[in-house]
Amino acid sequence: MKLFKTLSVAAMAIALVTSSVSAVSAASSLKGTIVVNGSSALLPLTLQAANEFKKLNPKVKISASAAGSITGPQSVRKGIADIGAVDWDASQDVPGFKKFDGQVAHKVAVIPFAAVANKNVKVDNLTTKQLQDIFSGKVTNWKDVGGSDADIIVVNRAFGSGTRVNFQMKALAGSDFLSKGNNYKEVKSSGDMKTAVETTPNAIGYIDLVYVTSNMKALQINGVAPSETNVINGTYKVWGYGYYMTKGQPDGATKAFIEYIQSAKFQNGSLKKLKFIPISAIK
Amino acid sequence: MQLDSTAQGPIIDSSTSELGGSIKAGSGNVLDRKNRLLFYNRAFKIACIASAAFVCLILFSILFFMFRTGVLTFRDVSPMTFFFSTDWSPENESYGAFVFIFGTFALTLLTLLISVPLSVIIAVFLAEIAPKWLRNLLRPVLDLLVGIPSVVYGFLGLTILIPLLRDVTGTNMGDGILAAAIVLTIMVLPTISRISDDAISVVPRKYRDASYALGATRFQTIFKVTIPAARSGIMYGVILGMARAIGETMAVVMVIGNTPQLADALFKPTSVLTSNIVMQIANVPFDSTWNNALYMMGFLLLVISLLMIVLVRLLQRKGAHQ
Amino acid sequence: MKSASTGTSGMFRTGRGINNINNRIFTVFVWGISACIVLFICALLYLILQKGLPSLTWDFIMGLPSEMEEGGGIGPALFNSFYMLFISLLISIPLGMAAGIYLAEFAPNNKWIGFVRICVEGLASVPSIIFGLFGIALFVEMFQIGLTIIGGAISLAFLNLPVMTRVTEEAIRAVPKEMKQASFALGATHLQTIRRVLVPTAISGIVTGICLVAGRAFGESAVIILTAGVTTSGEMWDFNLFSPGETLAVHLWYVQSEAIVPDAVSISDKAAAVLVFIILMFNIVFRIPLWIKDRKNR
Repeated sequence: MKLFKTLSVAAMAIALVTSSVSAVSAASSLKGTIVVNGSSALLPLTLQAANEFKKLNPKVKISASAAGSITGPQSVRKGIADIGAVDWDASQDVPGFKKFDGQVAHKVAVIPFAAVANKNVKVDNLTTKQLQDIFSGKVTNWKDVGGSDADIIVVNRAFGSGTRVNFQMKALAGSDFLSKGNNYKEVKSSGDMKTAVETTPNAIGYIDLVYVTSNMKALQINGVAPSETNVINGTYKVWGYGYYMTKGQPDGATKAFIEYIQSAKFQNGSLKKLKFIPISAIK
Repeated sequence: MQLDSTAQGPIIDSSTSELGGSIKAGSGNVLDRKNRLLFYNRAFKIACIASAAFVCLILFSILFFMFRTGVLTFRDVSPMTFFFSTDWSPENESYGAFVFIFGTFALTLLTLLISVPLSVIIAVFLAEIAPKWLRNLLRPVLDLLVGIPSVVYGFLGLTILIPLLRDVTGTNMGDGILAAAIVLTIMVLPTISRISDDAISVVPRKYRDASYALGATRFQTIFKVTIPAARSGIMYGVILGMARAIGETMAVVMVIGNTPQLADALFKPTSVLTSNIVMQIANVPFDSTWNNALYMMGFLLLVISLLMIVLVRLLQRKGAHQ
Repeated sequence: MKSASTGTSGMFRTGRGINNINNRIFTVFVWGISACIVLFICALLYLILQKGLPSLTWDFIMGLPSEMEEGGGIGPALFNSFYMLFISLLISIPLGMAAGIYLAEFAPNNKWIGFVRICVEGLASVPSIIFGLFGIALFVEMFQIGLTIIGGAISLAFLNLPVMTRVTEEAIRAVPKEMKQASFALGATHLQTIRRVLVPTAISGIVTGICLVAGRAFGESAVIILTAGVTTSGEMWDFNLFSPGETLAVHLWYVQSEAIVPDAVSISDKAAAVLVFIILMFNIVFRIPLWIKDRKNR
């Protein structure tokens, strides 16, 4: 009960965006260590939230690592992490992965994904069917989808990447990827994907919208451009939630941390600045 | 002189025991001092043995750790399929690792083919030919290359080397075994050349003087006298370089293309054991056959490098007998 | 510079043309190849340093990292790099040297030493990712201490042990046996001989080994991501061994592969330049005593 009281005080303090001494001392009674592991795409968000949270609760230690989405819920199950960051709802079955029993999913952000191509590609728009054909290897030349006569270089993320799972479910409607060929490669991280698409002529890939730069071309899907507005108004479908998984309902510092990340202050402040979309924006 | 360098080990060892023995018999008059010295000697020796045993222990715990999980693969996959099938698509339950095993061998050989001659030339240059000031300048620079993080090498490979290869050869992608071998060459070059350099530098001066006195040119001296005398050290540099090449991950993964297909051309996205492990290990469920297969591949990687080391040692011994 | 060698050979040369031509070709060839490689290395270093060093500021080096706004620093990561390197060297240098001395001095020359040597070289070829997985199994799962500096440092030490061991062994073996025999003849014990004669004579080789090891440890990322995490404790000068320990190389990896900050490219350029610069400093600092010793001996 006492804990709950402290928490509510903390939450209020945070909500009021005060950094007054009284608020800090009230919140700082929280103690403990939080270990976050899992998706690397959510890592910037976690790190930023951890920085802010640590300022309000100096006695809480947060350490984060990121090996890959599936590592998150797995570490939670093994008991070596308190929070598992993952790009899909790991309490449900998704293509390739079974659900994790006894874990609770907390939505923390909305992540839009975009199909991207090298600057030299003339195509601006692809339909779901065309995307399916390209990523399954049925179409291998840009001229077949309205571009110039050049081989399509497909850049893919490794199996199990959260971005790949989401892109497969939302943009390709679940159809399979090709897995070999002379014009096909896999990359390890969002950064590698960015570099590969930027530097390889005729390349196509996909990436979190956050990483899209002016050195690459974000393709429209079925005539809709990937943008925050189009995600919020419901026309752009290729997005997913980022989740924090916990073993059962969280308590103590872990609970406070998740609440902080879900709070309106963080969602509309730092989270937006990091170019994620607040969960409350989606109806 | 050649005989001397190869037989150095046994000579030292036999003389050690003889000379060490004489101390016990003769020197310490004061009993206390003698006992104390003996005690220190013995304690030091035990500490040294323990350290060596500890190094072996780490290797065996790692081997055990990989094998324990890896061996579970064979509950679901027959060893024949695992070692000789080229079909790696775990999504569809086929676990053939031949592509990666072949890729690892091909990549290591190609890397050594490029890096060993270059490194030995650099070592000869440093130890025998370069003026002293240049030598003192270049050695730290070479050491520096070791410290550049592999992610930086990978990034430079991805942004500079691959576009270059694409322009030069006109291929579509540029990713593949040649790009990886070039990046690895740069990474192992300092290891091989610095160790060879040290080995050549410590060849006693009298060997060279004797060779010159016989009228040999510098070219003949280096090839017939200096390099053979330093062979053991150079070999050791090559082994360490090879070990690094087999085990390197972060840089290779950025330039090799990561596609499970046989590396039968220089420019074709492929995959090796390390790159496949690092790409997938973080993304598979803990207790799946897939995960076990990746551990098995890690175990295999260790076995391959151990075998290659044994092979090099055997070759070296054979060379020494001739 | 060539005076000694070519001088002697010149004196005794009996004018065999083909040998001379070979010699010339060979010298030119070695100079040529070496010049190419050296040029290449310089270009590489220039490429890395030139992108980062000019825009380097004190604020960047000492500052706290930032996830959203431009101008984040690398302070805690840099500190962790040094701290972790120090701890790992504290473990790997004594252990590695002792094991190397055993191989060079004490081990009986039979199958056993061959076996130990193969173990050491085998360990050197273990990919860093496997050390990382091993580190997780050992520190995170068995000892339950989470992602910490000490776990990362010990894993790093494991990674560096084989190189340290073998370099020490080679360096000590290369000491002329006359020196050792002279020491024994003067009545020195084995331990005294090792301490006073073998190690000081072999110190140049051992320092090369330490430089290699320190450089590798400083640039290593895969092991540390898995065992020490991608966060720092968020403050400078945190000596707690159980704090999460992101190092500069890990920060570089993170900035290159996942970070969203607008100045990610500039941070990664600068971080790479700082890394290379520090490793250059290592090489120089470790060498100064050797140079001084060299001077004295002359």
